[in-house]
Amino acid sequence: MPRIRDKAKKAEILSLEEAVKKYMHDGIVCAFSGFTGFNRNPVAFAWETVRQGFKDLHILDRHGSVCTWLLNAVNAIRIQETDWMGWGEMAGKLDVNLERNYKRGQMILEDYSHGAMALRFLAGAIGSPFIPYYAPLGSDLYNPDYDALGRAGMRNGDNPRIARKKFIQMEEPFYGDGEVVLLPAARPELAVIHVAQAGEKGTARWRGVGTIDKEIAFACDKVVIIAEEIVPEADLRKHPESNQIPYFVVDCVVEQPWGAYPSSVPFYYDYDAPFMRIMDAASRNEEELKKWLDEWVFSPKTWEDMIDKLGVKRLLDLRADSVTGYSTRILRGKKPAPRMKMPLSVARSGY
Amino acid sequence: MPKSVEEMMELIDRIPDEAAKPGEFILPELMAIAVAHEVRDDDIVFAGTGLPMVGIMTANMLNAPHALLIYESGICDGKTMHVPMSVCDQRAANMSSTLGGLVDTFGFYLQQGFVTLGFLGGAAIDKYGGVNVTSIGDYFHPSHRFTGSGGNSDIGTMARRTAFIILQEKRRFVERNEYTTTPGWWCWDFKTREWKPKKEVWKGTPFAHCGPCAVVTNMGVYRFDEQGIIYLDSYHPGVTVTQIQENCGFDLNVSRVTGETPHPTYRELFVLREFVDPELIFLPTKMDYPPAIQSLIDG
Repeated sequence: MPRIRDKAKKAEILSLEEAVKKYMHDGIVCAFSGFTGFNRNPVAFAWETVRQGFKDLHILDRHGSVCTWLLNAVNAIRIQETDWMGWGEMAGKLDVNLERNYKRGQMILEDYSHGAMALRFLAGAIGSPFIPYYAPLGSDLYNPDYDALGRAGMRNGDNPRIARKKFIQMEEPFYGDGEVVLLPAARPELAVIHVAQAGEKGTARWRGVGTIDKEIAFACDKVVIIAEEIVPEADLRKHPESNQIPYFVVDCVVEQPWGAYPSSVPFYYDYDAPFMRIMDAASRNEEELKKWLDEWVFSPKTWEDMIDKLGVKRLLDLRADSVTGYSTRILRGKKPAPRMKMPLSVARSGY
Repeated sequence: MPKSVEEMMELIDRIPDEAAKPGEFILPELMAIAVAHEVRDDDIVFAGTGLPMVGIMTANMLNAPHALLIYESGICDGKTMHVPMSVCDQRAANMSSTLGGLVDTFGFYLQQGFVTLGFLGGAAIDKYGGVNVTSIGDYFHPSHRFTGSGGNSDIGTMARRTAFIILQEKRRFVERNEYTTTPGWWCWDFKTREWKPKKEVWKGTPFAHCGPCAVVTNMGVYRFDEQGIIYLDSYHPGVTVTQIQENCGFDLNVSRVTGETPHPTYRELFVLREFVDPELIFLPTKMDYPPAIQSLIDG
């Protein structure tokens, strides 16, 4: 929401443990960066959140991820307001932990669509209270009876981060373009954004897709940046057009190499699909899940300790090629990846 | 001595573009190629993860090399060398025109009206092409809870035409969905609580004439008539019209059947197996080529 400030923020550099302790709290409304379980998930932050035992979280985000998988594995999410409840796409589509918690009545799910969540964050980012969108009229997403937060009595205005209505359908008043849906701006408290590089002042840069991370950074009150590396601001300013998040929205920077594992950071490392398949398999049995959590979340002393368990061979296989930004050494399917120099469609027909 | 990528590329035009025989290909290959055939060279395609993505990549390498592929995480015209496992995969972003985010893909491209073809999956579909990817049973106490919309409902209602890939079973091909995530040619008007043609609910919007055009299943290919009702267009090899009717939860129109779904050609299979998914991520297995084709490849 628009928040008139009296003075500029100054970003602090903290350790992972300190940042989670300072910026998380029970019941927080929070958004994570990246895309599904594959790209720039701030996994280390969610992992540390699980270890510190925060509960009753309200995740307001575009979709599930490795972060929500971890949090749902310990039943830490009370409300998930999103558009896609999966996490692993081709490596474990549905979040089985989420489905289990939901069917037991332990959490509330509020459904939107992908475009709707993107525009809700855009509205939040530019300080607008709502935004009109066409899609999808006639969908049960906009069935007035299917308002989960309203049904739970949570749209009464007590929580300033929960809109008083899920949506409003109205006649488009300016051009006569039929019916349109008004969507409330997304206004979470905390954005946790994993990037490739951050300057010591907070300027942040990633390569690859942007998803809605810039919108999230501006829509939230507080922004924690988890960076693969902290670099001199001076270096980032040689090519400012490549930077996405200006330092003045950033509250905290954490340097955490391999902090998005098992999701990818383009040009740093690839996603680990085999590891995600093991996570998915573990989540299908509560005993197995508990063992997995003990081994990979609660036993390691630090995130570095966790990454160390993976072994050098695995990390070398995941390391991204400097040209393509991904790895052709990791075995994703049943056969190794072929060496390619040019996409076939371009080689045969140009652009 | 295995052939280099360049040698394999040169081979493509020498592999005959004639239909493979039954038993020389597997069902996922037939379905992926059926998807590819829906893509035109002048399409702007917005596709979801899975077989839709494999199909449109194949089209981009064969029958529709100039089709522009949009992936929802922000990728415009990705030219992939390795099959992505997600629509945010850096592999999908390879050599793209521009990279942005969801506001670009859903706002600037989709709601602005540029997308001519959507290609999506679904858990269940109704006779008007409405798709359910959300839940089965009471919405708040479902017997099955799926992932929910993602981009399905946005793309499926705002792309000029949309095709779906769905696993066909009686409970997945239904008269009316328990939950409509993506409206088809008929949908609810929640203002009057009436079930109406989409054209009326969306009247006056730029998207009233946008909607489903085709459905590819494991049993056949379907299209929609002038009233927006699904009909059987072709049946896959080895499947009978009776079997299809038995796996459909409503009275299916089979009067417009054109025949068997075209088999993939040897050239299409070669491209799909060697260039689209040689890592066997989507395809469960790689079959042997018939001897005549294998000797061309070895030669």
